[in-house]
Amino acid sequence: MQLRDFFTPDAIRLELESETKDDVLKELVSLLGLDEKSEGILFKMLKRRENLGSTGIGRGIAIPHCRSLVVNRLRVAFGRKREGIDFKAIDGEPVKHIFLIVAPPLEVSNQYLPVLGKIAQFSKEADIAEKLDEIESSGEFMELLAAKGA
Amino acid sequence: MHAQLELLLEMQDLRAQKRALDEQGLREVESDLFDIEPEEASKRIDEKLGELEDRLDPAVRQRFERLKGARERMVVPVVGGICYGCFMAVPTAWTSDAERNEDLDVCDNCGRFLYHLG
Repeated sequence: MQLRDFFTPDAIRLELESETKDDVLKELVSLLGLDEKSEGILFKMLKRRENLGSTGIGRGIAIPHCRSLVVNRLRVAFGRKREGIDFKAIDGEPVKHIFLIVAPPLEVSNQYLPVLGKIAQFSKEADIAEKLDEIESSGEFMELLAAKGA
Repeated sequence: MHAQLELLLEMQDLRAQKRALDEQGLREVESDLFDIEPEEASKRIDEKLGELEDRLDPAVRQRFERLKGARERMVVPVVGGICYGCFMAVPTAWTSDAERNEDLDVCDNCGRFLYHLG
Protein backbone atom coordinates (compact mmCIF):
# COMPACT_ATOMS: atom_id res chain seq x y z
CA MET A 1 0.00 0.00 0.00
CA GLN A 2 1.40 3.39 -1.04
CA LEU A 3 0.26 6.64 0.49
CA ARG A 4 0.30 8.38 -2.89
CA ASP A 5 -2.42 6.02 -4.14
CA PHE A 6 -4.90 7.72 -1.82
CA PHE A 7 -4.21 11.33 -2.86
CA THR A 8 -5.83 12.99 -5.85
CA PRO A 9 -4.83 16.42 -7.24
CA ASP A 10 -8.20 17.97 -6.34
CA ALA A 11 -7.66 17.02 -2.67
CA ILE A 12 -4.36 18.88 -2.47
CA ARG A 13 -4.42 22.64 -1.83
CA LEU A 14 -1.06 24.34 -1.52
CA GLU A 15 -2.43 27.79 -0.72
CA LEU A 16 -5.13 27.44 1.92
CA GLU A 17 -7.19 30.60 2.19
CA SER A 18 -8.46 30.08 5.74
CA GLU A 19 -7.05 32.01 8.68
CA THR A 20 -8.28 29.93 11.63
CA LYS A 21 -8.05 26.29 12.68
CA ASP A 22 -11.82 25.74 12.27
CA ASP A 23 -11.84 27.31 8.82
CA VAL A 24 -8.83 25.26 7.73
CA LEU A 25 -10.65 22.08 8.78
CA LYS A 26 -13.73 23.21 6.81
CA GLU A 27 -11.61 24.07 3.77
CA LEU A 28 -9.93 20.67 3.81
CA VAL A 29 -13.29 18.90 4.22
CA SER A 30 -14.56 20.86 1.21
CA LEU A 31 -11.85 19.21 -0.92
CA LEU A 32 -13.53 15.81 -0.49
CA GLY A 33 -16.53 16.73 -2.66
CA LEU A 34 -19.26 15.78 -0.17
CA ASP A 35 -22.69 17.38 0.07
CA GLU A 36 -23.16 20.31 2.43
CA LYS A 37 -24.83 18.32 5.23
CA SER A 38 -22.15 15.64 5.16
CA GLU A 39 -19.46 18.31 5.26
CA GLY A 40 -21.10 19.78 8.37
CA ILE A 41 -21.27 16.40 10.11
CA LEU A 42 -17.67 15.63 9.23
CA PHE A 43 -16.45 19.01 10.46
CA LYS A 44 -18.28 18.46 13.73
CA MET A 45 -16.58 15.07 14.21
CA LEU A 46 -13.15 16.49 13.43
CA LYS A 47 -13.80 19.25 15.96
CA ARG A 48 -14.83 16.71 18.56
CA ARG A 49 -11.59 14.83 17.94
CA GLU A 50 -9.58 18.07 18.22
CA ASN A 51 -11.35 18.81 21.50
CA LEU A 52 -9.91 15.59 22.95
CA GLY A 53 -6.42 16.86 22.08
CA SER A 54 -4.82 18.66 19.16
CA THR A 55 -3.69 16.60 16.18
CA GLY A 56 -0.83 19.05 15.67
CA ILE A 57 2.12 16.70 16.17
CA GLY A 58 4.80 19.40 16.09
CA ARG A 59 7.26 20.78 13.54
CA GLY A 60 4.43 22.57 11.74
CA ILE A 61 2.45 19.42 10.88
CA ALA A 62 -1.07 18.37 11.87
CA ILE A 63 -3.00 15.20 11.06
CA PRO A 64 -6.71 15.75 11.80
CA HIS A 65 -8.54 12.43 11.50
CA CYS A 66 -11.77 10.64 12.33
CA ARG A 67 -14.10 7.90 11.27
CA SER A 68 -17.48 8.92 9.87
CA LEU A 69 -20.45 7.35 8.15
CA VAL A 70 -20.59 10.19 5.65
CA VAL A 71 -17.73 8.70 3.61
CA ASN A 72 -17.92 5.35 1.87
CA ARG A 73 -14.16 4.81 1.62
CA LEU A 74 -10.99 6.16 3.13
CA ARG A 75 -10.35 9.74 2.01
CA VAL A 76 -7.33 11.97 2.46
CA ALA A 77 -6.50 15.59 1.71
CA PHE A 78 -3.49 17.84 2.13
CA GLY A 79 -3.37 21.56 2.70
CA ARG A 80 -0.59 24.08 3.20
CA LYS A 81 -0.76 27.44 4.91
CA ARG A 82 2.58 29.14 4.40
CA GLU A 83 2.06 31.69 7.18
CA GLY A 84 1.04 28.98 9.64
CA ILE A 85 -2.02 28.92 11.87
CA ASP A 86 -2.57 28.36 15.56
CA PHE A 87 -3.54 24.70 15.82
CA LYS A 88 -2.76 24.29 19.54
CA ALA A 89 -0.04 21.88 18.43
CA ILE A 90 1.92 19.81 20.92
CA ASP A 91 5.02 22.02 20.53
CA GLY A 92 2.96 25.24 20.50
CA GLU A 93 4.32 26.18 17.06
CA PRO A 94 2.05 27.32 14.18
CA VAL A 95 0.95 24.58 11.78
CA LYS A 96 1.72 24.92 8.08
CA HIS A 97 1.08 21.44 6.70
CA ILE A 98 -2.16 19.59 7.34
CA PHE A 99 -3.00 16.03 6.35
CA LEU A 100 -6.70 15.14 6.68
CA ILE A 101 -7.74 11.48 7.00
CA VAL A 102 -11.34 10.28 7.11
CA ALA A 103 -12.53 6.69 7.03
CA PRO A 104 -15.89 4.96 7.32
CA PRO A 105 -16.59 3.23 10.66
CA LEU A 106 -16.12 -0.16 9.06
CA GLU A 107 -13.69 -0.80 6.22
CA VAL A 108 -13.24 -4.11 4.48
CA SER A 109 -9.53 -3.46 3.94
CA ASN A 110 -9.03 -1.61 7.23
CA GLN A 111 -6.65 1.03 5.86
CA TYR A 112 -7.27 3.73 8.45
CA LEU A 113 -4.50 2.79 10.88
CA PRO A 114 -1.88 1.97 8.20
CA VAL A 115 -2.54 5.28 6.40
CA LEU A 116 -2.41 7.23 9.66
CA GLY A 117 0.84 5.45 10.52
CA LYS A 118 2.38 6.11 7.11
CA ILE A 119 1.53 9.81 7.22
CA ALA A 120 2.99 10.04 10.73
CA GLN A 121 6.16 8.26 9.58
CA PHE A 122 6.42 10.50 6.50
CA SER A 123 5.92 13.60 8.65
CA LYS A 124 8.71 12.62 11.02
CA GLU A 125 11.41 12.56 8.34
CA ALA A 126 13.98 15.23 9.16
CA ASP A 127 13.69 17.26 5.95
CA ILE A 128 9.99 16.84 5.25
CA ALA A 129 8.73 20.20 6.56
CA GLU A 130 11.31 21.98 4.42
CA LYS A 131 10.42 19.90 1.36
CA LEU A 132 6.70 20.55 1.86
CA ASP A 133 7.50 24.27 1.99
CA GLU A 134 9.23 24.08 -1.38
CA ILE A 135 6.69 22.20 -3.52
CA GLU A 136 4.88 24.27 -6.13
CA SER A 137 2.21 21.91 -7.46
CA SER A 138 0.15 18.87 -6.57
CA GLY A 139 2.37 16.95 -8.99
CA GLU A 140 5.43 17.88 -6.94
CA PHE A 141 3.60 16.79 -3.80
CA MET A 142 3.01 13.37 -5.36
CA GLU A 143 6.66 13.26 -6.48
CA LEU A 144 7.77 13.99 -2.92
CA LEU A 145 5.66 11.10 -1.62
CA ALA A 146 7.18 8.85 -4.26
CA ALA A 147 10.73 10.04 -3.49
CA LYS A 148 10.20 9.15 0.14
CA GLY A 149 8.78 5.77 -0.78
CA ALA A 150 5.41 6.71 0.69
CA MET B 1 -31.49 15.81 6.27
CA HIS B 2 -33.88 14.64 8.97
CA ALA B 3 -32.78 16.29 12.26
CA GLN B 4 -33.00 13.02 14.20
CA LEU B 5 -30.98 11.20 11.54
CA GLU B 6 -28.30 13.88 11.82
CA LEU B 7 -28.24 13.34 15.57
CA LEU B 8 -28.04 9.57 15.14
CA LEU B 9 -25.18 9.92 12.66
CA GLU B 10 -23.29 12.08 15.12
CA MET B 11 -23.84 9.48 17.83
CA GLN B 12 -22.74 6.67 15.56
CA ASP B 13 -19.57 8.55 14.61
CA LEU B 14 -18.84 9.28 18.25
CA ARG B 15 -19.25 5.59 19.05
CA ALA B 16 -16.74 4.86 16.27
CA GLN B 17 -14.36 7.39 17.82
CA LYS B 18 -14.72 5.69 21.19
CA ARG B 19 -14.19 2.27 19.62
CA ALA B 20 -11.02 3.54 17.93
CA LEU B 21 -9.60 4.32 21.36
CA ASP B 22 -9.91 0.61 22.19
CA GLU B 23 -8.64 -0.59 18.82
CA GLN B 24 -5.27 -2.31 18.88
CA GLY B 25 -2.72 -0.01 17.26
CA LEU B 26 -4.95 3.06 17.07
CA ARG B 27 -4.93 3.37 20.82
CA GLU B 28 -1.13 3.46 20.80
CA VAL B 29 -1.09 6.03 17.97
CA GLU B 30 -3.56 8.30 19.79
CA SER B 31 -1.60 7.98 22.98
CA ASP B 32 2.00 8.13 21.68
CA LEU B 33 1.71 10.39 18.65
CA PHE B 34 -1.13 12.71 19.69
CA ASP B 35 -0.61 12.58 23.45
CA ILE B 36 -4.22 11.59 24.15
CA GLU B 37 -5.12 9.90 27.41
CA PRO B 38 -7.47 7.14 26.13
CA GLU B 39 -9.45 6.56 29.34
CA GLU B 40 -10.10 10.26 29.86
CA ALA B 41 -11.02 10.72 26.19
CA SER B 42 -13.38 7.75 26.32
CA LYS B 43 -15.10 9.18 29.38
CA ARG B 44 -15.61 12.53 27.65
CA ILE B 45 -17.10 10.80 24.62
CA ASP B 46 -19.52 8.89 26.88
CA GLU B 47 -20.65 12.15 28.46
CA LYS B 48 -21.31 13.66 25.04
CA LEU B 49 -23.15 10.54 23.90
CA GLY B 50 -25.40 10.80 26.95
CA GLU B 51 -26.20 14.42 26.12
CA LEU B 52 -27.05 13.56 22.51
CA GLU B 53 -29.17 10.57 23.53
CA ASP B 54 -31.31 12.87 25.66
CA ARG B 55 -32.12 14.86 22.51
CA LEU B 56 -33.67 11.89 20.69
CA ASP B 57 -37.45 11.86 20.23
CA PRO B 58 -39.14 9.24 22.46
CA ALA B 59 -40.02 6.86 19.61
CA VAL B 60 -36.55 7.13 18.08
CA ARG B 61 -34.95 6.70 21.46
CA GLN B 62 -37.02 3.58 22.11
CA ARG B 63 -35.76 1.99 18.89
CA PHE B 64 -32.26 3.24 19.61
CA GLU B 65 -32.27 1.60 23.05
CA ARG B 66 -33.55 -1.65 21.60
CA LEU B 67 -30.82 -1.66 18.94
CA LYS B 68 -28.12 -0.60 21.37
CA GLY B 69 -28.50 -3.80 23.30
CA ALA B 70 -28.36 -6.04 20.25
CA ARG B 71 -26.33 -4.27 17.57
CA GLU B 72 -22.85 -2.80 17.41
CA ARG B 73 -23.98 -0.38 14.70
CA MET B 74 -27.38 1.25 14.94
CA VAL B 75 -27.09 3.50 11.90
CA VAL B 76 -25.81 1.92 8.72
CA PRO B 77 -25.27 3.18 5.19
CA VAL B 78 -27.36 2.13 2.23
CA VAL B 79 -25.11 1.63 -0.78
CA GLY B 80 -26.45 0.51 -4.14
CA GLY B 81 -29.82 -0.29 -2.60
CA ILE B 82 -28.28 -2.61 0.01
CA CYS B 83 -28.51 -2.16 3.77
CA TYR B 84 -24.92 -2.41 5.00
CA GLY B 85 -26.10 -3.73 8.34
CA CYS B 86 -27.74 -6.97 7.17
CA PHE B 87 -26.86 -6.84 3.44
CA MET B 88 -30.48 -7.17 2.33
CA ALA B 89 -31.98 -5.02 -0.42
CA VAL B 90 -34.04 -2.04 0.74
CA PRO B 91 -37.18 -0.88 -1.15
CA THR B 92 -36.22 0.75 -4.43
CA ALA B 93 -38.57 3.69 -3.76
CA TRP B 94 -36.12 4.82 -1.09
CA THR B 95 -33.00 4.41 -3.14
CA SER B 96 -34.40 6.41 -6.06
CA ASP B 97 -35.63 9.25 -3.87
CA ALA B 98 -33.58 12.41 -4.40
CA GLU B 99 -34.38 13.61 -0.89
CA ARG B 100 -33.48 10.28 0.59
CA ASN B 101 -32.18 11.37 3.96
CA GLU B 102 -35.06 13.77 4.57
CA ASP B 103 -36.98 10.88 6.17
CA LEU B 104 -35.89 8.66 9.02
CA ASP B 105 -35.85 5.24 7.35
CA VAL B 106 -35.29 1.93 9.05
CA CYS B 107 -34.41 -1.40 7.48
CA ASP B 108 -37.41 -3.74 7.31
CA ASN B 109 -35.12 -6.69 7.87
CA CYS B 110 -32.71 -5.72 10.66
CA GLY B 111 -34.43 -2.63 12.08
CA ARG B 112 -31.36 -0.40 11.90
CA PHE B 113 -31.62 3.27 11.00
CA LEU B 114 -30.55 3.88 7.42
CA TYR B 115 -28.29 6.58 6.01
CA HIS B 116 -28.36 6.82 2.22
CA LEU B 117 -24.83 7.43 0.99
CA GLY B 118 -24.55 9.46 -2.20
